[in-house]
Amino acid sequence: MRHVRPAEIAIVDLNVCDRCGLCLPLCPPAAIHLALTELEVDRDTCTGCRKCIAPCPVGALSMVPNA
Amino acid sequence: MPDVDVLVVGAGPAGAVAALEAKRSAPQLDVLLLERDRAVGAPVRCAEGVGNAGLREFADPDGAPWVARKITRVIFVAPDDTEVKVAERDVGWILDRTRFDAYLAADAGAAGVELLVGTEASGMRHDADGRWEVAVRSGGSADTYRAKVVIAADGVEAMVGRWAGLDSRVPARDMESCVQYVVQGIDFDPDAIYLQFGDQIAPGGYAWVFPKAPGIANVGLGMVALKSDGRNARQYLDDWIARRYPRGARTGYTVGGVIAHTTIKKTYTNGVLVAGDAAHMINPLSGGGIVNAMKAGRLAGRTAAAAIREGDTSARRLAAYHQAWMDLLGEDHLKYYRIKQALEELDDDFFNGLARTVNKIPREKRSLGRIFAHALVKHPQLIPVAARYFV
Repeated sequence: MRHVRPAEIAIVDLNVCDRCGLCLPLCPPAAIHLALTELEVDRDTCTGCRKCIAPCPVGALSMVPNA
Repeated sequence: MPDVDVLVVGAGPAGAVAALEAKRSAPQLDVLLLERDRAVGAPVRCAEGVGNAGLREFADPDGAPWVARKITRVIFVAPDDTEVKVAERDVGWILDRTRFDAYLAADAGAAGVELLVGTEASGMRHDADGRWEVAVRSGGSADTYRAKVVIAADGVEAMVGRWAGLDSRVPARDMESCVQYVVQGIDFDPDAIYLQFGDQIAPGGYAWVFPKAPGIANVGLGMVALKSDGRNARQYLDDWIARRYPRGARTGYTVGGVIAHTTIKKTYTNGVLVAGDAAHMINPLSGGGIVNAMKAGRLAGRTAAAAIREGDTSARRLAAYHQAWMDLLGEDHLKYYRIKQALEELDDDFFNGLARTVNKIPREKRSLGRIFAHALVKHPQLIPVAARYFV
């Protein structure tokens, strides 16, 4: 249960993402899910910690306002 | 709900060998091997290099269709492009991972393992009897398998262990972000692998050229994003290739992560064993993980089979796997990790100087051991590294 909504959360650009799975073990709350044809960041679980952003080899992850 | 004895998640080298060894140890067991991708071995997320001795424990590479190239030399390239050639006998092989992984999985299949491709584990939970119920998806259909032992060989994403309550998270400083092209029509020694270090080239890692055939190579790099100047791994590699191989044709492309860490604290829990990349069993200095994964898979498969035969798949029983791995390689990785940390403190000037010094050693005497010994004499700042390594 999260009490404070983060100002920003991570999103993935699926046009850039190669679904390699590198970002999954970097995510403390396990908010990133990878299936055969999709990778998604769970907006309700992402804490906005940014740990997944820079390590993406192709820059597919970025932060957006948590609208 | 289908029942199996051993359910292995992931048909890479760790999973395929784990499944094979479990079945071989106890042929009466039902062993199921799941692969999420539609084909075992594809897409390749690997530079495909493997040491000779370790490989031969599992398969004979001479004339094998899953081998691309035999390697007999290592060429270290300093940040300023000074090359240091190191000749060792039987250095290793560059595999064709698509074929190699399929070969291992077929071996498991021939022994009686059931293999399902295009099938992924999507979650798991403990039932009232203490067995794991693993949710599995394939195409549009979903099923639940009940297993006595789950072997998590799901690679770098390492989610199965987390579902089981184990900590397989990776600190960002220990994640190598990797990109690789297959480049054709370039000039290099086809019997050598090239490794280049440098803060502007691959900070916290190295760039590589691994030959697949004369003129064709895996050209890639791994770097630590926390040390980046703002470029991502692909941008570093594009810049490196533009400088070194401007005329090469890039005919393939892959990305992925290499976990340059030490083995997770606990690779087991009730009814679960974690093996290979998923357990951070990669050599943290070299980034090599194929043979380690197979060695861990062998231990995991045998441990699972023995535990099921004894009717005890508790964490206490499965702890034998963790101990066996730590004795085999896990303890060594703790030392390698300390060397990795020490090397991170050395700068480009150090490596440039070391390369020039080492090149004064006659080439036939230039082994890795001699290079290290020489480095200690000429570069006393390395002595603390050696001390931390050997203590």
